[in-house]
Amino acid sequence: MGIILKGISKSYDGRAVLENLNLEINQGEFHVLLGVSGGGKTTTLSVIAGLIKPDSGSVFIGTRDVSDLSPDKRKIGFVFQNHALFPHLSVFENIAYGLRLRKITEKEIKRKVDYYLNGVSIAKEKDKFPSQLSGGQKQRVALARALVIEPEVLLMDEPMNSLDSMTKETVLDELKNIQQKIGVTTVYVTHDQAEAAFFGDRVSVLNNGKVDQIDSPVGLFRHPRTEFVARFVGVKNILKVSPIKINNNEIIVLIKNEGLERPIKIRVKKYPVFEIDKEINLCIHPEKIILKKKNKVPENEIPDTGLNRIYGKIINITDFGNVLKVTININGMEMYATIPKNLFNFNIYENVWVCFATNAPHPLCGKKCRAPASERRCLNNSNFAPLNGG
Amino acid sequence: MKNFSFDLAISLIAGIFVCLIILPIFALFTATSLSELACQFRSPMVLSSVLISLETSLAVVFLSLCLGIPVAYLLAMKDFKGKRILDTLVDLPVSMPPLVAGLALLILLGGNSKFGKLLSCYGIDLIFSKKGIIIAQLFVSIPFLIKSTKDAFESINKNVINASLTLGASRFYTFKTILLPLAKNGIYTGIIMTWARALGEFGATSMVAGCIPFRTETMTVAIYQNAMSGELSASIAVALLLLVFSFTLLLVFKLRVRVHAR
Repeated sequence: MGIILKGISKSYDGRAVLENLNLEINQGEFHVLLGVSGGGKTTTLSVIAGLIKPDSGSVFIGTRDVSDLSPDKRKIGFVFQNHALFPHLSVFENIAYGLRLRKITEKEIKRKVDYYLNGVSIAKEKDKFPSQLSGGQKQRVALARALVIEPEVLLMDEPMNSLDSMTKETVLDELKNIQQKIGVTTVYVTHDQAEAAFFGDRVSVLNNGKVDQIDSPVGLFRHPRTEFVARFVGVKNILKVSPIKINNNEIIVLIKNEGLERPIKIRVKKYPVFEIDKEINLCIHPEKIILKKKNKVPENEIPDTGLNRIYGKIINITDFGNVLKVTININGMEMYATIPKNLFNFNIYENVWVCFATNAPHPLCGKKCRAPASERRCLNNSNFAPLNGG
Repeated sequence: MKNFSFDLAISLIAGIFVCLIILPIFALFTATSLSELACQFRSPMVLSSVLISLETSLAVVFLSLCLGIPVAYLLAMKDFKGKRILDTLVDLPVSMPPLVAGLALLILLGGNSKFGKLLSCYGIDLIFSKKGIIIAQLFVSIPFLIKSTKDAFESINKNVINASLTLGASRFYTFKTILLPLAKNGIYTGIIMTWARALGEFGATSMVAGCIPFRTETMTVAIYQNAMSGELSASIAVALLLLVFSFTLLLVFKLRVRVHAR
């Protein structure tokens, strides 16, 4: 069953948590609600589940309008943050709880519970109580408890939050396999973009109670539509630019970010959305930035061809295992680069050239002009000449 | 050296506290002979007061459970206008002097009030009866059960309740199968506190039910009556019984909590 949310609004003490939220989730889809804490993700999930009544709007599960139904009548499975297992019941009884309400025979209950106990690999733990289980085992019990009632939709609220990274990896794999096997429509809430990328057929990014963007994980990363989405998916380099000269395939823009002591000129690949003097935000993925040792090239001069070069100073280096995240100060503006550890031979506070190709900066318009040719969209609504490549 | 002085000071203060509790109890145990006590334990007056106290206090515990658990649920789980007022009302009998409570009940239930007259019409006379004792004890002791149960309900993870609802359970089924079992320690604590308070109630009880031997004379009333009329050994006998009840109740409660904590 698919899910449709129509014009959902919800406020607490005058503060809007959801504002006219519209969302369509397809049947069998694994849909991720991604966003920061307080963005409205859990409220959205609770509205679908019927645990929170919205101030306005409707909820449909399949063709059923469930807006006025209580949670017990919505045919949903819910995996809660921190598992929310019944502490006074054994693993078996936790999973059987929903089945007992459906008045089926004890034999059938045992058969179904055993099936799911085996499905999530916790058959050996069936007589234990939740307090005797590890985080990963609790997670599996919570999942089995939600699935055993064969819900029309499965809702999951940050279920991996309390797991260590190793357990998380295993449980993520298992969850994805189970979801694909049974094909239940799933809505998964997380603030972790890696989880969203791993699971999501589509991802909705929620910001202040509104959906900023709905896209595939790849689309979201490659074509963020707003500054919030860009920053959220890790594209922290947002350049506020003003185009000053348009050539055949590229344009010259002035970076005018707040805090920047003086505007910086760079060359950017031409996109249809560019207009002279019309300010626009560009993003550059941190891994598209290359650092080069200081040389004799004059400051801020735009080379005729090849990479853009901006002079800056390394002010922070953070180790993320195989890669280093480097923060560079450029005349009061910060830029971020992700550099493989083995290619990094700089020191903190060293002056460097921040280099990036003309096609690295990308407009924050959410349109797929960087995607393969078949997916390009921004050409359709533009008077500009077609571009070469994505 | 400073730490030693601090520890010593704390130990001395604790010692004063222990003396404060132990010495009066010791005095009670040594005030009369064992043979005299044995004789008093067999006296009809003492036995009657014990029976009346047990009968009324157990009825109070039962009524407290029936009235207190729903009120505790309401306060812990629901948001509604006037919630703070209800919460304050629950606390009021604890802070109110029992004599004031007794006087208020006497005026409400007495033959001169409209309510009292209405009850009389239906043949219900609460003043100077065991029913009056129960009402008075209930008034002063039910807050203990409500507060303890409310705290227990509030300590339950809301998502555990939501999990039950999303699995298809009604609110009543969730209450029965999830909330009550998870709040049982809080409810047991409430029962013990309520029972102990009801057993020890004197002021409100004596105002509402008077001090009629063999009819409304509870253990606390008997202690007072006998002490005032010079029957000290009878008074001590009842007091010791009450003490043993209270101590046993607390001991059972603490052992239960310890067993559960393991």
